[in-house]
Amino acid sequence: MAKTYDYLFKLLLIGDSGVGKTCVLFRFSEDAFNTTFISTIGIDFKIRTIDLDGKKIKLQIWDTAGQERFRTITTAYYRGAMGIMLVYDITNEKSFENIKNWIRNIEENASADVEKMLLGNKCELEEKRQVSKERGEQLAVEYGIKFIETSAKASIRVEDAFFTLARDIKTKMEKKLEASNPPKGGHKLTPTEPMKKPTSWLSRCTLL
Amino acid sequence: MPDCSENFESEIDDGKNKRLVKCKYCSSVILTPASATFSSFEYKLPLIKQNKGNVVNPETEDVLQFWVVNDMMTFYNVGFSNTVGSTKYLTCADCETGPIGYYDIPSKISYVALSRESNSYIIFHMIMLCNI
Repeated sequence: MAKTYDYLFKLLLIGDSGVGKTCVLFRFSEDAFNTTFISTIGIDFKIRTIDLDGKKIKLQIWDTAGQERFRTITTAYYRGAMGIMLVYDITNEKSFENIKNWIRNIEENASADVEKMLLGNKCELEEKRQVSKERGEQLAVEYGIKFIETSAKASIRVEDAFFTLARDIKTKMEKKLEASNPPKGGHKLTPTEPMKKPTSWLSRCTLL
Repeated sequence: MPDCSENFESEIDDGKNKRLVKCKYCSSVILTPASATFSSFEYKLPLIKQNKGNVVNPETEDVLQFWVVNDMMTFYNVGFSNTVGSTKYLTCADCETGPIGYYDIPSKISYVALSRESNSYIIFHMIMLCNI
C-alpha cells in the first residue's frame, strides 16, 4: 500500500511523574468503585497526523509515564527519537528543578542532534503557580531551546506544542537534504530570506 | 447512546469506511474516509468503564463489526495502550477514551469497533487550534 504520509517523526515526552498528563477534554468519571479500563493499563504511545506546509507528517509520541520512577531512562528508549519535549508542571517546583537532570540524561543517552523543547504545563489554576514564566524562559535560553507554557485560555495543550517541535525537525531535515543535494542548474539559494514563511495555518499560531 | 453499528451498512462503500471515523465523545478524527476495510466477526472487547474489583478479569462485551487497519501509520489520530498478552488496546488520542478497538501484535493488524466510534464528513479539530 502506498504511504499516506511524507514524514514520520518519533517524539518523546519526558519529565517527572504526572507532568506529561494532558488536560483531557473528557474522561469518564472515576470514583471509589469504578475505574476506566485504559487508565488501569496505561497508554504506550500515540499516533497523530499533522499538516505542515502541505506535507503530511505522522507523529509517533511516547510518554515516559511510569518509567521515570527509575529516575533515568535507558538508551533504548531514546533510540531513533528525533524530538524531545521536556515537560514540567508550573505548580510543582521540584518538577522544574529536575529538568536539568533530564537534560543531562538526554545528553548522555540520546542522539546529539535531537530537537528539544521546554514546556511548562498548566493543568491547574494559576493561584497554585510555583514557577514563574520568566524562570522557564531563562532556563530555555540557557540551553538554547524553545519554550512555551500551556494555556487553558488559549487551549494550548501539551500535544499541541508537539506541532512546534515537529516544524523545527522538518526544517532541520530539509536543510540537511538541501545540503546533501544542492539544487542543480547553478541557481543557489542564499540565506538572506528569513526562515519563516506564513504558508500554513500553524505559522499563524505563534506559540512563543 | 446511539449505536452506529445498527445501521453500519450505510457507512460502507466498496468495502471501506465511507466517512470519517471519529471519537464518539470528543470528535477527534481516528481514520480518514476509505482508509480501513470492513470486517464482521465476534470479539470480546473490555468495557470502557470497569468495576475496580475487575482489574485482572475485566468485564467485556461481544463486538461484531470492525474497521480493519493493516498499517498502524494509516491512523489519523489514535492511542495504543500498554501490552496485555498479545494485544494493545486502541484509544482516542485526545480524550483517551477506550478501548475503541484493539491491535493484534503478531499480525500487526488493528481493529476499530464500529460500536465505539461515530462517523461524519467534516474535519474541524485542526481549525480550532488556530483560534488562539
